[in-house]
Amino acid sequence: MNLYILRLTLRQTVGQRRTWVILLFASVPVIFALIFRLAADADENRLEFFMEGMDGLVIGLILPLTALVFGTAVLGQELEDGTAVYLLSKPISRWRVVLEKATAAWIATSVVLGISIGAMALILLAGDAEYRLILAGSAALSFGALAYVSLFVCLSIMFSRALIIGIVYVFVWEALITALINNARYFSIREFTVGVGDALVDDSTATFNASLNGTESVILLLAVAAATIVYASHRLGSFQLGDRT
Amino acid sequence: MNTETIHTTEPQLAPDGRGLPSTLEVRNVSHWYGNLVAVNDVSFKLQPGITGLLGPNGAGKSTLLHMMAGFLKPSSGQVEIIDQSTWRNPQLYRNIGLVIERESVYGSLSGYDFVLFNARLHGLPHPHEATRHAIKLVDLETAAHRATGGYSKGMKQRIKIAAAIVHDPHVLLLDEPFNGADPGVRVFLMDMLRAWAAEGRTIVFSSHILEEMDQLGENVIVIVAGRLAASGDFRAIRRLMTQRPHTFSIRSSDNLELARALIAADIVSGLDLENGVLVVRTKDFDRFTLELPRVARRADIDLTELDPLDESLESVFSYLVEA
Repeated sequence: MNLYILRLTLRQTVGQRRTWVILLFASVPVIFALIFRLAADADENRLEFFMEGMDGLVIGLILPLTALVFGTAVLGQELEDGTAVYLLSKPISRWRVVLEKATAAWIATSVVLGISIGAMALILLAGDAEYRLILAGSAALSFGALAYVSLFVCLSIMFSRALIIGIVYVFVWEALITALINNARYFSIREFTVGVGDALVDDSTATFNASLNGTESVILLLAVAAATIVYASHRLGSFQLGDRT
Repeated sequence: MNTETIHTTEPQLAPDGRGLPSTLEVRNVSHWYGNLVAVNDVSFKLQPGITGLLGPNGAGKSTLLHMMAGFLKPSSGQVEIIDQSTWRNPQLYRNIGLVIERESVYGSLSGYDFVLFNARLHGLPHPHEATRHAIKLVDLETAAHRATGGYSKGMKQRIKIAAAIVHDPHVLLLDEPFNGADPGVRVFLMDMLRAWAAEGRTIVFSSHILEEMDQLGENVIVIVAGRLAASGDFRAIRRLMTQRPHTFSIRSSDNLELARALIAADIVSGLDLENGVLVVRTKDFDRFTLELPRVARRADIDLTELDPLDESLESVFSYLVEA
């Protein structure tokens, strides 16, 4: 597999203004970390602050929104402006198109989040040898990003207003409904992500307070990614010009 | 409106395409969007050569072309290219080139990289060679390494065509390919398509401009309100178009006297005099336009205004349907 679609998509992503806006957005926890570190009596609570920043800000907000922006743009924008025809009028399977597009969105999301938590960890945890914690957080984010981008790529094929639907999912379903209805956590990528994070941290002093265990979380994340990629490929196979263009 | 279809001749073949089986077949195809019927029970077969899909805006040309390209599912009926259904059949794109109407290209890529990307997705064994050849065919070699985002409309059209032909397809489908192209580019593209068709390829292009058909369409399919209004040799259809009854409104120094003179000269098939305007109908456009000034001069009448009333494409197409 030559991954031409993946390469072109990454090249386009780097050159887009939205990427730089997302990078600015992802620098918010870094700025908070910097302010916290500069505060005179902050030294003792650095680990706690890092965990809270990861849970509330990075996993709860920056991860889903970054994945939403990249996930809905990588293919959705081409379906809107008509350039998707150049991909779809080729003798290549639709699952390959979806897979390469989702991978590009996943890489872009992971890089942005990697920069964000890398800088945050450097500022807050430098010299504390909390490598396991940083790796656990990164792995959880990476798993979470995979499920999120797969879902959002799928939504972008199904709906021209995928961005709005994605925002509703993140802010209404994950932030509100999941908090109110206990069983809704089985349909929340955020819950799966913190579940993976907690399983990998393996430390009673640092926890994301996950409601699902690690195995459940990994299985559910992979299931979401697989199911949405398969369904997205099926829907893309039936893409009709004029529906969106 | 009478919806009987005119078939002037069987669809034409390119010189070296004679005797070949049809490469594209549209069989009882309809497509509707909700309650709106965009294409209604259309059938035709095409062999190698150039075929123009002609019709006014909104007639259903693009809908039909998108179904041919496998980008729209027929609500009923079947579209086949080389005996294979075009719907949900990506492997068929080895044989199809498609140029959509929209200008969109990957603006950050150079023309060369854009065509190369298409060549690679086709899995061509020598993508760079194919890219250079396609760019040469559309005469864009000098601008090939500039970003397509900065291309003019005509250049974008040419690079889109290069991308569509890079894999040397048997069938080339073009949606309004001359829209926005300047006259020079238009002539160049027409020559290129003619040369391609002469090599035995099937080329279908849509247009709402009669003159484009005149210059390019050997074979024509006329679509009006989603129905097949006429098909066959363009020249025969063009004759029908020019020989249709024409209506003019005339203002003159003495409309009543002019009406008598026109009837006496036998160059009108009917006339009405209303609100100071003489409305005349004629079946012989050429003779009427030649004789009118002579008749007026002989009767010593000054013509102050002459307006054709039915020159819109819609009226021409409507006439074809009613013929």
